Amino acid sequence: MSQRDAAVDREATAGDPLLEVSNLSAVVQGFEVTHGIDLEVREGEAVALVGRNGAGKTSTFRSIMGLTPVANGSVRFDGEELLDLRSELIPKRGIGYQPENRDLFTGMTVEENFRLPIWTSGRARGIDDEDALVEDIFDLFTELEGRRNAEVQNLSGGQGKMTAIGRALALQPDLLLLDEPLEGLAPVVVENLKSYLHEIIKRDISVLIAESNASHVPDIVDRMYVIERGEIVDSGDPEVLAEDEEIQMLMQGGGE
Amino acid sequence: MIESFVTHTLNGLYYGFILFMIAAGLTIIFGVLGILNLAHGELYALGAFLVFSVVGFATGLVASPTGTVSAIVFGIVVLAASLAAAAILLPVGAVVESVFVRPIYERDEVYQLLLTYALLLIFIDVMKFGWGQTPVDPGVYGTLNRIPTTELVGFGYPSYNVIVMLVGLAVFGWLVWFFDRSKTGRIVRATAINRDMATAIGVSTDRTFTLVFAMGAFFAGFGGAMVSIGPGTAFLEMGLDPLVLSFVIIVIGGLGSLKGAFVGALIVGVISRWAIWLYPPVELAAPFAVMLIILLFKPEGLYGTWGEIE
Repeated sequence: MSQRDAAVDREATAGDPLLEVSNLSAVVQGFEVTHGIDLEVREGEAVALVGRNGAGKTSTFRSIMGLTPVANGSVRFDGEELLDLRSELIPKRGIGYQPENRDLFTGMTVEENFRLPIWTSGRARGIDDEDALVEDIFDLFTELEGRRNAEVQNLSGGQGKMTAIGRALALQPDLLLLDEPLEGLAPVVVENLKSYLHEIIKRDISVLIAESNASHVPDIVDRMYVIERGEIVDSGDPEVLAEDEEIQMLMQGGGE
Repeated sequence: MIESFVTHTLNGLYYGFILFMIAAGLTIIFGVLGILNLAHGELYALGAFLVFSVVGFATGLVASPTGTVSAIVFGIVVLAASLAAAAILLPVGAVVESVFVRPIYERDEVYQLLLTYALLLIFIDVMKFGWGQTPVDPGVYGTLNRIPTTELVGFGYPSYNVIVMLVGLAVFGWLVWFFDRSKTGRIVRATAINRDMATAIGVSTDRTFTLVFAMGAFFAGFGGAMVSIGPGTAFLEMGLDPLVLSFVIIVIGGLGSLKGAFVGALIVGVISRWAIWLYPPVELAAPFAVMLIILLFKPEGLYGTWGEIE
């Protein structure tokens, strides 16, 4: 099967649109930092948003979560307009967010970081068995098991990323927004974390991953968007795009 | 000499526990909302005035005590009345936060000072309007001291003051439990640590802030109520000195630290009462001197966390 056919095949298996971002312009400190972003994540799909640091990935994620104001545009999730919602209702609708710099709740343990989202949004997410869900997350991230009662500021970089992803999973989300989950980690840890991400993607959770290193993601995502200076400049099959010389040029120096 | 040393130290601890109730709210509100509430002392004063009215009503329902048992019943009624007076401050705090304080979160710090100082003046006028210019006293302190606890201390010390210390200890214990163990308390801490991320897991920061402000108002009011039914009276300017001392306390303890506020309050309480005993003119200055010494060695305060509740 050619790559073209593989892409068509993957698109055929993806479900209805889950997240539809259209013409979204985010505003940070009075400046428009993204200009009319259009992107879509379908049910069960894993999508990457690739661009170098400062291209607008984090602002796009934050405006989806209602944390960064927008000048115009629309963010529809499961048919509902998120921009009309109070920000704290967005996770309750089923979007789990792992921010770029982890932003864990320091002074609290790994387990507390997993339980907090269940306490705040468990009812809205239809979670009846808090303990089972927490154990489920520890089962996925096996190496956090031994660090269960460690305060999160004492974790290694990789463990911190895992805790931040685990905390997002504690919402039992339909969509995960992962902002640079592989950034700043040792190559061994990157491979390790990628296998976890692969595991999550297999679980029927739609995933949108922001990455500054285009070579990190092609093997785990179905589709890829390329963002540059706040605009989507290309999209399509990740394997094809990652080989594209122009894209590689864009990514140069954007990795670390 | 020894007996007066012990008496003044106990008085200092009594005052320290009262100060803790004010400083705890001040430090929690600062830690979570990032607001330094200049009107916090007035919530303490409001509690003192409210309890005057509530106790007058409540004690009308029970007979004046004649023996030990009826003294204890009377004491329970009065303490319940002071809780009721403090409870009135829950909605007061909630309204102040959601109506007046909320619009200034995103603004410069100077707006905080202007707004909370304005609230301070308004509260004083409200109290002047409600209870007049002259100090009021519920007049139950003597009766409350008939509750037998004095023997435990070994010499004559007012029973009521001992009760207040026990209540203060219970309040501290409860607050530690609330922030360390309860779900709501840990959600509040998460909000203090990272507002955006708390929102991204479904916390309504509006509601959390309102809760925290109302809680702070409650404990300040409870402290004021206990002073006014105790050895003190309720008067219009009573909130000013404790507010200033509370600033000293939270700086000594570390901004946002509950344990720091507790230790700091007991230190400041004892120092100020020792000053009254040994050289009264330095009553207010002595705690500042102690603060300077502590800051020389621990610039971030005893339990410095800078803005995180711990």
